[in-house]
Amino acid sequence: MPSGEHVDLLSMRGVRKVYPSGTVALSGVDLRVGAGEVVGLVGANGAGKSTLIKVLAGAHAASEGTIAWEGRPQAWSSPADAQAAGVATVYQHIPLAHTLSVLENVFLGRTGWRRTTAGLERELDGLLDRIGYRVDAHATVEELSIGQRQMVAILQGIAQGAKLLVLDEPTASLARGEREVVFEAVRRLSKSGTAVLYVSHFLDEILDLTDRVTVLRDGRVVADEATAGLSEDTLVRSIVGRELLRVEQREIDLPPADAPVLLEVDDLRSGDRLQGVSLSLRAGEIVGVAGLLGSGRSELLHAIFGADPNASGTVRIDGRPLPRSPRAAVAAGLALVPEDRGSQGLFADFEIWRNASIADLPALSRARGLPDVERERERARDAIAALKIKAPGPDALVGELSGGNAQKVVFAKWLYSGARVFLLDEPTAGIDIGAKADIVELVRELARRGAAVLVADSEFSELLAVSHRVVVLRRGQVVAERVSGETSDHELVSLASGLEKEMQRAA
Amino acid sequence: MQREKQRRGVLDLLKVRDLGIVYALILLVAVLTAVSAATGRPNYLGGDNVANILDQASLVGILVVFMTIVLVSGNFDLSVGSIGALSAAISLSVIDERGVVVAVALAIAAAAAAGLVNGLIVQVVGINAFIVTLGTMTALRGVVLILTDGRTITAESSSSRTALQSIEAGFWTVNFPVILGLLAVIGAGAAFAAGHRGRRLAVLGGGGAVLAIAGFVGDMGFRYAKPVWYMAAITLVAWLVLRFTVVGRRLYATGANAEAARLSGINVARYKIVPFVLTGAAAGVVGVLYGAKLGATNPTALNGLELTVIAAAILGGTSLFGGSGSVITSVIGALFLFTIANGFNVLNLGANYQDLIEGVVLIVAAGVYTVASRRRARAGQAAPPEAPAPGAAADGQPAAPAEPARVEALRG
Repeated sequence: MPSGEHVDLLSMRGVRKVYPSGTVALSGVDLRVGAGEVVGLVGANGAGKSTLIKVLAGAHAASEGTIAWEGRPQAWSSPADAQAAGVATVYQHIPLAHTLSVLENVFLGRTGWRRTTAGLERELDGLLDRIGYRVDAHATVEELSIGQRQMVAILQGIAQGAKLLVLDEPTASLARGEREVVFEAVRRLSKSGTAVLYVSHFLDEILDLTDRVTVLRDGRVVADEATAGLSEDTLVRSIVGRELLRVEQREIDLPPADAPVLLEVDDLRSGDRLQGVSLSLRAGEIVGVAGLLGSGRSELLHAIFGADPNASGTVRIDGRPLPRSPRAAVAAGLALVPEDRGSQGLFADFEIWRNASIADLPALSRARGLPDVERERERARDAIAALKIKAPGPDALVGELSGGNAQKVVFAKWLYSGARVFLLDEPTAGIDIGAKADIVELVRELARRGAAVLVADSEFSELLAVSHRVVVLRRGQVVAERVSGETSDHELVSLASGLEKEMQRAA
Repeated sequence: MQREKQRRGVLDLLKVRDLGIVYALILLVAVLTAVSAATGRPNYLGGDNVANILDQASLVGILVVFMTIVLVSGNFDLSVGSIGALSAAISLSVIDERGVVVAVALAIAAAAAAGLVNGLIVQVVGINAFIVTLGTMTALRGVVLILTDGRTITAESSSSRTALQSIEAGFWTVNFPVILGLLAVIGAGAAFAAGHRGRRLAVLGGGGAVLAIAGFVGDMGFRYAKPVWYMAAITLVAWLVLRFTVVGRRLYATGANAEAARLSGINVARYKIVPFVLTGAAAGVVGVLYGAKLGATNPTALNGLELTVIAAAILGGTSLFGGSGSVITSVIGALFLFTIANGFNVLNLGANYQDLIEGVVLIVAAGVYTVASRRRARAGQAAPPEAPAPGAAADGQPAAPAEPARVEALRG
């Protein structure tokens, strides 16, 4: 680059990232950020945003490509290197020391022998002025709300003298007022010369806040344009990248219109995560819940299942109100496939057969109290064959299975238990293509057999492919409802990210 | 079922994770027997010495069964020693006036209530079990001090003494081989009738028959103190419940992953609280037995018992993180500890070294278990689950065509 010409703060060129498993997460990405610039990074799930951030933060090494920082090529081999250069990354799950005070957290990375509380307090005041925020320096982090923690993490970043602040979905779990605080901080930082890479699913925020937008799809940059020249339409189109694959829907048999209503949810509320959700499902119907991170989609499924003790509102099965406990839900024929299968769905140290039978143990027992291990194994063998679970046999430990196969074991747990209402939370997250197709087919099969299925999925194209009807959830409310054949990926993204002006009309 | 035998180390082949303490006990007994023989002492494995070890281990053995249940459920109980002392104090101070039945019932009820308090605070309030039971351990020891006013309590009346002795003292002779053999034959027959086949059943039935005949012909009676039989009966019942019932399975599931258990419809609160109540009641029983043995109790009775019990459970391979463990190996862990103590005694090695050895053994045991689990985890990773075709894996039959199988599956 000839001297005298404008030099970008950050310039990544041709960055490729291939994971040891062979997955190509990034295939030649260019990203540049100028000093003081706010750049939006958007893309669907799996587009490579997280990987790109990790490469930038020094947490992953790029397989190929160059990173230039202030015009000089870099080979960051650890997050510390990137931080020392001036890249501060604030991840979704904020790693703060919960028992320490705000002050101690903000200056956690500070080295050196001498530091006085008074000195640090003055410094913190300076930082707070810079971003236009107030917080009690001596409160411990565990006393703070999620939004306040987010701000502490941002303060931590700029306290290290960051020239580039990377924010990964900073507003996903924040309330409205807290989001405004983050926006204000971003605007002020940019004015004072700190660049911001702003990663978000919320396109209204992106259009509002950024100077330029880089769109990733399938590990490539498909757009890199000034925000001023972008419309919501072009943005959504480049994120989605293709017209909806309506062909996939032909296989769905619509349930008869007179099918009985199995599940009725009325005015379900829980804190500010769920703000009065009502819906109903007929036997044989598959309904998708389209919502972005923080929209309340997991909370909705958990509340229906009775797993949220703070929830209010009624859930009816076959017209009968359901007591609020998972035990009552299971007894009434509800099944939950949770998003975090490792910590909520499976017993990793148990064999497949003990996992598959746990929800339906009395039925597999002599005198309903003495489990018949042979029948349990038989069921596990059936499940392995029917769901095409790749495992050496029913004695394989579930913790040793791959994501897709483990997920099938979660399904197996419910398939045989006589469940009629299935609540599926991100059933295909982190699963390879083959297993994904199996699970989609399985969901259809369930519906054909008269079950009602409620699926939450952040990949809207998949949601449309599998469901008859989609309700759009945003900030804990149903903002729209669409028949799958009459909407598109594009429209759902707009509705869920709060762009579509039709939203008000639909709600 | 095909076994996927990869190259596995000695630790895996011997199932050290499950049976390590059994090998350790056999080794220890072998060494002690050899040393006693070489030094011209009486046979270490002689009936009297074995009866002695079992008698000494019986109270800890009873408690370790329930400690294992608490540990499996994912909790922890430090208060058993204090609860036992409370129970002993209550039973001995009531027995002269109210008689043995009321005294024992009251003592065990109070002990179970203390366990319930532990369970409720841990589960409902949500305080860590270590802290809660550390608190109740201290507080209940205080209650014992208040009850006894710091003095030794003795059962005075001779009728009380007789009643207490009838609970604890004395021996029962049981022709164990006959009973065990007949049980094995009946069990194998029942399983055969229920449609099970296989070599294991034949071995069980045949072995049982041989054992029964040998016991009958050889008149092999086992004469042990009553508490030993209590321990044996409790261990057997607890093992059967944990191993073969829905309740047992759900207990393990709750300890392995409470959230997944809750979302599978298991009443997690029940499976977290009841073990504390049972452990409290068992500590009550142990307290009564202790008081009955001595006819007296003092404020420091059973002090430190909880640590021996927990050490025995750890030696038996029970995980402190819940979801795994076996009451049988835990009881063997207790036997191991008391065999060490007994060995020091019999061989006249300075008792000064005993604690040192026990402590080192505990850490070594935990180390072996940790290494064995890690190896097992690694063996699992090294064997990617893609090996045989699904379906074929089951029992060597060709894989069923997927589609009809699925339809079949969903019919259930």
